[in-house]
Amino acid sequence: MTEGTTAADKLLLIALVIISASGFIFIKKAFPQGTDVLIEVNGKQEYKLPLNSDTTVSVKGPTGETVVQIKDKRVCIKESSCPNKICIHSGWIDRGAIICLPNKVMVSIGSTVGIDSQREDKQNKTIDAITG
Amino acid sequence: MDTLITISAVSDSDNKAETAIDKAFAEIEKIDNLVNFFSDKSEISGINKNAGKKAAAISYETFEVLEKAIYASKKTNGAFDVTIGPEIALWDFHNKVKPEDRAIKQKLQLVNYKALTLYKNPPSAYLKKKGMLIDPGGVAKGYAADRAVDVMKKNGIKSGLVAIAGDIKAFGLKPDRKPWKIGIRNPRQKNKDDEIMATVDLSDMAISTSGDYERYFIVEGRRYHHILNPKTGYPADGCRSVSVIAREGAVTDPFSTGIFILGAEKGLKLLEEMGIDGIIVDKDGKIHTTSGLRGKVELKGNDRGNNSRR
Repeated sequence: MTEGTTAADKLLLIALVIISASGFIFIKKAFPQGTDVLIEVNGKQEYKLPLNSDTTVSVKGPTGETVVQIKDKRVCIKESSCPNKICIHSGWIDRGAIICLPNKVMVSIGSTVGIDSQREDKQNKTIDAITG
Repeated sequence: MDTLITISAVSDSDNKAETAIDKAFAEIEKIDNLVNFFSDKSEISGINKNAGKKAAAISYETFEVLEKAIYASKKTNGAFDVTIGPEIALWDFHNKVKPEDRAIKQKLQLVNYKALTLYKNPPSAYLKKKGMLIDPGGVAKGYAADRAVDVMKKNGIKSGLVAIAGDIKAFGLKPDRKPWKIGIRNPRQKNKDDEIMATVDLSDMAISTSGDYERYFIVEGRRYHHILNPKTGYPADGCRSVSVIAREGAVTDPFSTGIFILGAEKGLKLLEEMGIDGIIVDKDGKIHTTSGLRGKVELKGNDRGNNSRR
């Protein structure tokens, strides 16, 4: 540590490390690994592809083409017509989503089976009538 | 009935379901016309007008309603009393006016189910004292739910649900082969998420709930609600909410009221003796359930820890 580092600074550093680590754990928990790659353009689903099958597809958005690649159970946006290429810099993901705002493309990893079972679970909890 | 009625029918034919539901609604209306406390033309009004004079002829349905009411009155030792009418008539929950203490006391002598006599053949009923009033409000909705379910069954419906306000009767299973899920209202709801205090699965059973939160007003910090103790003429204060589960709505409806007035301890004892299930929220908010309900009722939220009979 450089000169002038106070105890408070150290505390802050530790706190930041914990927060970022817990953020990482949170993401892992909040986005369980799915089995399907969903590609949406402008809110409309274009593709639903299995995560365990390597492939490359291209979709067309308002600014042009976006190329999505699936490989080794990971996904990335390989090419994009958008100006700042933030989506490409997101790199490979194995859970969660990559969003390209300018071209309105969303690539997400989900599991349809999971969603369906959640929906069924919700239905079971639905109340048919209320007394009182 | 001047209340919200919901009827569901499960059927493979739209037509069949619609016909059955229409007939069920008509049946409820028919019962209401017979026993409505507030209608001049009802048979109950006929009995009340002839109090102290003569027995009034009634239909078989009205006879049954009164028979069920007297049964509940006897079993609860008068905690439920179908002749509570003179006291009910004093209270105005709409304009939130508390009656004079003197008036409440004076009318008490007119409340006594033992002074109501039923004759079976031909069906008729007689109130001994002039001024006595039958108020079938605590039994009519449950009975009507029973009748509506019978009508649906007769029209070929194997599964359905009739809810007349808080008096609910469910029969058969839902299309997903599961029983009907009934939510029990939280008597002290604080926000949108805690409307339901518990859920219970029902099939071929009825449930009714009596609560101090339905019709009430607060004067000088005291809550005055619509469930009057027939022995005092004042709102009963032993419970916040009582739900009773039994085969017949004509049982659950009056017993939920009677148990509410008896209070948690005596109420629970009576339910266990009769082998009827119930959930009681006492005046402190503690939840009591009968032994038969253990594992069958799903409690939600903060009250979970307060359940004394788990």
